[in-house]
Amino acid sequence: MFNLHLSPEQLEIRDTVREFVAREVKPVALRPERLEPFAKPLLAAQLEAASRLGLRTLALSEAAGGAGADTLTCCIVTEELAVGDPDIAAVLAHTAALARRLERAMTPAQRERLLTQFVADERFHLALAERGIAVAQDGGEWRLNGVATAVDNATVAKLFVVQARIHDGIGALLVPRDAAGVSVRAQGGHWFHGSRGEVDFSDCRVSGGNLVGAIGTMVPPSGALSLGIGRAAYEAALEYARIRVQGGRPIIGHQAIAAKLAGIAIGLEVARAAVWRAAWASDHPEAFADRSLPDLPLQSIAEAFAPEVMLRAVKDAAECFGAMGVMRDMPLHKYVHDARVCLHSGEGSSGARLHVAAAITE
Amino acid sequence: MDFELSEEQRAWQAKARKFAREEIRPISLERDAIEDPAKTWDWEIIRKGSKLGFRTMAVPKEWGGLGTDFVTQALVMTELARADSAISKAFSQCWKWSHLIAASCTEEQKERFLKPFLADDTFVLGKGISEHSAGSDNRLPPADDPKAGLKLRAERRGDEWILNGEKAFIANGNIGKLFFIDARTDPNAPLKQGTTMFLVPRDTPGFRSGKVYNKSGWRFYQNGEMIFENARVPHANVVGEVNGAVRKSGGAGGDTTGGDLFGDLELAANALGICDDACETALKHARTVKQGGGVLFEQQLIQLKLNRMHMLTEALRSFVMRVAWEHDRRIHSPNPGLAMNFSTDVVQEVTELYMDVRGGAGGAMDAHADKLVRDSIIWSHLAGDTVQRLKVAGRLGR
Repeated sequence: MFNLHLSPEQLEIRDTVREFVAREVKPVALRPERLEPFAKPLLAAQLEAASRLGLRTLALSEAAGGAGADTLTCCIVTEELAVGDPDIAAVLAHTAALARRLERAMTPAQRERLLTQFVADERFHLALAERGIAVAQDGGEWRLNGVATAVDNATVAKLFVVQARIHDGIGALLVPRDAAGVSVRAQGGHWFHGSRGEVDFSDCRVSGGNLVGAIGTMVPPSGALSLGIGRAAYEAALEYARIRVQGGRPIIGHQAIAAKLAGIAIGLEVARAAVWRAAWASDHPEAFADRSLPDLPLQSIAEAFAPEVMLRAVKDAAECFGAMGVMRDMPLHKYVHDARVCLHSGEGSSGARLHVAAAITE
Repeated sequence: MDFELSEEQRAWQAKARKFAREEIRPISLERDAIEDPAKTWDWEIIRKGSKLGFRTMAVPKEWGGLGTDFVTQALVMTELARADSAISKAFSQCWKWSHLIAASCTEEQKERFLKPFLADDTFVLGKGISEHSAGSDNRLPPADDPKAGLKLRAERRGDEWILNGEKAFIANGNIGKLFFIDARTDPNAPLKQGTTMFLVPRDTPGFRSGKVYNKSGWRFYQNGEMIFENARVPHANVVGEVNGAVRKSGGAGGDTTGGDLFGDLELAANALGICDDACETALKHARTVKQGGGVLFEQQLIQLKLNRMHMLTEALRSFVMRVAWEHDRRIHSPNPGLAMNFSTDVVQEVTELYMDVRGGAGGAMDAHADKLVRDSIIWSHLAGDTVQRLKVAGRLGR
């Protein structure tokens, strides 16, 4: 059975987010000052509005107050948001995915105590500090020391999930942002999506009740983000090609431009197929067991493939705009930059390729 | 076949390399980082380079210039671009229009314009063709739309021409002292039969600069808007013939030696300089930076990337030098255009590979890799877009 139907719920949420982005995000995100390649403040009001739509708690179970969305649905939402603003998309993707991991790692008492606050507060985001923190048990408390660098959502998180070696295994400690001994330094530059920073824990203490099981490694949303960026560039180029007249007709009427746009559409569809398949696979582990899916790291395949194809696509889209395609106060330049960020953030496309290589040579 | 450079050519190359390393390189990244696009230019580097001959080297010796050949010009552009592509272009843009003056201006015009150009270290040149609604239409005028192309209007009144309209994206538009302006002098004729070229000095009444464009890369080299409101230009400033700006037989102003032809070589040679920079820096990085217990260079994937970068760069060098050599022998072929198109593919792939080698771990990117990638994106528009490729294909099909 090969089924590519989205559920009515998935179609509805896609339409809702698409409309939200067109109405509330794009008009602000496309202001010239936001297109410049410098570090920009997050669109806080839009982030909060997205949260009110339920996108921050998207992946939490319905019992915990979320929408119980699966990985594929999260992927669809991330793409739609990234069409408008990849930074908002990245922040929400991290919080939503981490909330789901956290819910699974928590005891019912912890869920009651910590998730309730999270669900109620539209500005409550989560961040994962994976490396660099030493923890030690001290009576009934845990003491944390160290600096975690390049932490996604560092500047917006109200709760840090600190993964560390606990006893003989890996566990995670939940540290509120306002705990004594926690300080955050925003990372500058513009070579990441969302918010990023350094989190310093110095003699920070949390109670034993804040210990949860291991969270695991988070999958970066670069595949779905790159699809959104590619879509934005494609839609802009298609619209422009219909109105820009050169060579005696709207440029879409020239074979060379129409074929270029077709190439972008092909890239988008094939890349989305790879990203969605990987997402669906993580929702359906049984499909590996029954040999419907190959024994390959599909997520890494998507990450190696989609950002590369999308960079080609946005560069082609930008070319349709002539000189306006390289100007900093116009959108296409930003899409090209954003696509490069997807290619180089996280372990990057080359890193993902090596991960696939390792898997097939095992 | 003989690939050897003459002593004079080698001397120019060495002089350019020294100037690039000692004077251009130290200011390259800081100029690139300036946020206001109108504040990136630096007259000091232009003055210094001018005193060494890098502004006027394409002017023929009989007119007091340095009379370098195309091979020398290609070598110098590459060396300067190796330190900063945009600053190299700022100098070579003056050669482009020096070629045009030499080929198309009358003795009287040369007297009036070449002499001050030679005498003043801050005298830079520009040419206005593009307009907001006429870019590709000027490059490749459509046969079935005779009204297509530039709209800036020039009407004769006695001994003067009155210019009205706007130019867009014009290099040096806000800082140049003298411009060649293409204007429509017969609005009912197709572009090629209805356009005249004028010499327009900066202080022309009725002419002013508009905004400076905020480009992704090539920050030093500024492009601006030019606005003409009843601008008055003497008839003596017409280049070539009225309605003869774009002749069938050649490029602008009937130019068959410089101008357009030089422009193709120019972009290819400049791209080569960026590639040299990327190759050299990538190799150095790979041999010094440690990763996973050894230097980066020990990784096969890194070696393959370095191999491809060098392979493409050397192929481009061969093509660039061949085109320059053919120019010096007045051999006309589609090669300059093909080399220009090719340089787009090469400069973008090589700089992207360089960015890969440097990596972007943790959301930080090396400022130099970032700059080279942004500088090379302009080739998409100037040298390798669909129209520039179709235009060259047109030469093949003739």
